[in-house]
Parts: sequence; C-alpha cells; structure tokens
Amino acid sequence: MRDISFGQYYPSESVIHRMDPRAKIIFSLLYMIGMFFIVSYTMYLVTFIFLMTVILIAKIPPKIVFRSIKAIVFILIFTAIINLLFYNEGKVLVEWWKIRITDAGINFSVKMIFRLTMLVMGTSLLTYTTTPTALTDAIESLLKPLSYIKVPVHDIAIIMSIALRFIPGLIEETDKIMMAQKARGASIDTGNFIQKVKAMLPVLIPLFVSAFRRADELADALDARCYNATDHRTKMKVLKYSGKDLVGAIVVVALFVGILLDKYLIGGSGLWVGIDRYIADGIRNLVG
Amino acid sequence: MSIIKLSNVFYTYNKDTEEQVHALQGINLEIEEGSFVALVGHNGSGKSTLAKLLNGLLLPTSGSVNIYDMDTTNPSTIYEIRKNVGMVFQNPDNQMIASIVEDDIAFGPENLGVPREEIIERVDWALSKVGMLEHKKGTPFKMSGGQKQRLAIAGVLAIKPRVLVLDESTAMLDPQGRREVLSVVKQLNQDEKITIINITHYMDEALDADRLIVMNEGKIIDDDTPKNVFSRYAQLEAVKLATPPVTGLAIKLNQAGIPIDTNITTQSELVEKLCQLL
Repeated sequence: MRDISFGQYYPSESVIHRMDPRAKIIFSLLYMIGMFFIVSYTMYLVTFIFLMTVILIAKIPPKIVFRSIKAIVFILIFTAIINLLFYNEGKVLVEWWKIRITDAGINFSVKMIFRLTMLVMGTSLLTYTTTPTALTDAIESLLKPLSYIKVPVHDIAIIMSIALRFIPGLIEETDKIMMAQKARGASIDTGNFIQKVKAMLPVLIPLFVSAFRRADELADALDARCYNATDHRTKMKVLKYSGKDLVGAIVVVALFVGILLDKYLIGGSGLWVGIDRYIADGIRNLVG
Repeated sequence: MSIIKLSNVFYTYNKDTEEQVHALQGINLEIEEGSFVALVGHNGSGKSTLAKLLNGLLLPTSGSVNIYDMDTTNPSTIYEIRKNVGMVFQNPDNQMIASIVEDDIAFGPENLGVPREEIIERVDWALSKVGMLEHKKGTPFKMSGGQKQRLAIAGVLAIKPRVLVLDESTAMLDPQGRREVLSVVKQLNQDEKITIINITHYMDEALDADRLIVMNEGKIIDDDTPKNVFSRYAQLEAVKLATPPVTGLAIKLNQAGIPIDTNITTQSELVEKLCQLL
C-alpha cells in the first residue's frame, strides 16, 4: 500500500524540492493567475518551456506529471467541445441548426485545452515537490497575520497535521471493518447503487465509533504532552527563504510580467494576438 | 523522597446519575522517586483511572493527588505537573500527531516553548534513548507496534519528565514489541533515574519492578515486592490474576508435597532450587 499521507509527493533531491514551501505556494498562485491572462500561442509555448524546465530541474519523470492530466481528460474534452460548438464569433466554417463552428471557436477551444492542461501541470508540481507536512507548515506561516484578528492559525495547522496523520490509519481500519463484515456474510460489492450504499452503513458506523474513540485517546495524548501549555510556542523547523527562492521569484515574476505585457501592450483583437501577430506578419512578409 | 502522593482518593464516573461507577475508592499511595512500580489489576479494577489522575487528565472526586507537592486540581501548576509526569497510552497509533518522526517528537518541547536549538538536542536525545535515531526523518506509517510505541515514549521523553506512566502500553504489542518497550523502560529507570509506573495486566512484566501494587474494584489490595505478592497466590487468584508461569509451577510443586518456596520468579532460580532438592 502506498503511503497516502505523503499524497502525490515525489521524493527526489532537487533545488525545487528544497525551495521554501511558502515561496512555492506563492509562485503557484501567481502562476495560476498568470494562466488566465495568456492570449498568444507564443506565450503558451514560453510557459510550456518554463514548465518543462522546472520538471527537469525537479528531477521528476515527465510521465508522472502528464499522468496528473489524465484525471481531467473528461473535463478537457467536454469544455473543448462545448466551446467549439457554441462559440459564435468569427468566420463560420460549418453551420447546422443552432450549432456553428467558427475559426475563432476552434482557436478558443485549443487555447482552453492548453490553459487547463498547463494549469493542472503547474499546480501539481507544487504537490509533487512539497511534502504535505511542509505544506501545512507553509500554510500556517502564510496565515500567521490572521492570528492578529484572533484566527486560531496554529490550531488549524494542528488539525491539518492530525488529519494527514490519521488518513492512512482510517483507511486501514475501513479495510479491516469491511473484511470483518464480509466474513459475516455482508455483501458490500454487489447489488445496485442503493443496495451498495445501504451495505456501507455497517462499515461506516463502526468506523465512526472507532474514530471517536481514537479522537478521545488522542486528546488525552495531546494534553499529556502539554498542548496549550504556553502561548509562546516554539518551532523546531523554522522556514527560511534563501537564494533559490529569490531566483525562483525572479523567474516566475518575469513570466507573469511577460504574459501581462503580451496581453495588454502588444495584444490586439482577432485570431492572432500578442506576439503571435508579429510572428504571423513576419512569416507573411517573408513568404510574400 | 516521594514524588507522587495520593491521599484518600475517590473517583466516580457519571457522578449522581444512574450509571455512576465508583472507579476508585479510598486510594492512599506514595511513590518514591526513581522507583519502578508495576500496577496490576483485572479489567475494571480502576488502574487506568488511577493513571489518568496522576497527571491531571482526571481530577479526583474527593481526596488529593500531589506531584512534588503540587495539587493536580490547581490549574496554575497543571502544566508543571504534566511536564513532570509523562504518560504513554495503549494504542501507539493514537498518540502521534505528525507524519514525520522528528516533528512528532518535537511536539512536546514546542508546546513548552523550549528554544529551537534545545528542541533539536532533545529530539536526538529522546530518539537515541529508545534506539530509534535512524528513523528520525522517517514516517511511523510502516513501523511495527513495538517501534511505534518506542516513538511514543520518545515523544514523552522529549518533555523531560521525572515520572513515566505506561498505561497498558504493551497491551496491543506482540511479544517482541513488548520486550523492546520493556527493555527501553528499564534502561530509562536505570540510566536516567526516571520513576516508572507500569500499569499492565501481564504478570510477568511485574517481575522487573521493585514494587508491585495489586488493585481490585477500586482498592489497593496488595502492595509489596513482586516476590512477596506472588507468594500470596491464593489472594491473586481470588481477583482473577494469575502468577507468572514459573511461580505457578513452583506453587503446584509445593502443593504436590515437594518442599519448594512459592516465591520463585525466574527459570534459573527454579532450576537451582530443584537441583538442591535432588
């Protein structure tokens, strides 16, 4: 059984893995925002090169990153088809009843696929290179300002950490209960949907009971280890920004600014926008 | 000097309701610093309740529990008490809060606001004391019960307690895991002079203790060296506790008319005594 508490973390020794998790979260957010501003194919290509470079530096097999797209293939195809069929602007290529396929529609669908694919690839890079524990620490640190308005940031972090810690245990327990119920003749995997849901009840009830019992014992264990003994908690692992985070920031901000410049400064309307237009013009001039 | 003192302690669950249970009825007990005490009793004898009173997880219904003259009912010293009385519970899986070993061990000292450098030292120290230093960066997920329970002990050790209460901490372990945990605990008692209170229903674990307390129905019914307690086997059997197998054999031989002592606790001792008889 795979260690679920590590999520999809891919362990390897790389600069990206060693970067500050807070920096990585901020970069991912900036990247996500950036993805919604891309207009030209050239910028998609630039972003794609950026992604592949990060994957290469992180020493993650590209195969694994591409696997994360598998989960959203259905959404990709669905949005692409919807956009293709119901996008109304541009030159009409095919028309049938209310459905119109236009050149701008094709353009939009293709870009949408690029956008969603790279969005998922980019954000999954965060979880591939950062352990859930590091992510929890980072979130705690990033939310720290909220503690001034009495948000119990540390308690939230402890809850996240405990949740991560208990997921594998609860899954194991579910397996055990299911086996125990099967041994007593329960049919869990057969029947129609409603029968299956009903069959889950004898699994869920003992699971809940045991979860409460665990919570009770854990609460005693937390108390016994002086939880809440002082407001001045210390931390063993202190997050620290370093040079690599600065380099990362420069690269990510450069990409973001590039995307914005492409959209607002040299962008236009129509099929070929942004830098694409200059490239298209250049090729046209060369040919003509 | 006694580190723990219980005077006339009563504890009642669900007090003044129909389901009320008198778990402890008039416990008087003093425990010397540095001693190794085993506390045995049948299910429902009140031994786990007694454990939870020792660090203020439960407060006595009447009577008082004092740790170094600090009363557990005083909220201002409760964390000082918990710092001195560490507790390890039955299920190791329900005591860890982090997915990474060192993070879990650091939890206690972090709660106490120990400076960072010292936390790092304490984590290494606690892990080396339980022989788990090489698993520092690992995850408890795939470890054996014995290993996980040793980590739980390390997690408590990191707060540097003077007393370690093991509340049936070996009950869920296999024989190998039990041996591991017990040898770690014995080492801690000898090297660090930590007072050990081992609450168990395995009689053979009581053999290692300097003192054996037997509980039944909320009362202490015997409190003596293990050897002396075992020689009063009839009384033990009356409260559904069995003597360790070697002692049991000696008792049976004695009953069959062979003149042999009934307080024998080890195999080699039995062999020696039997050889003397030949």
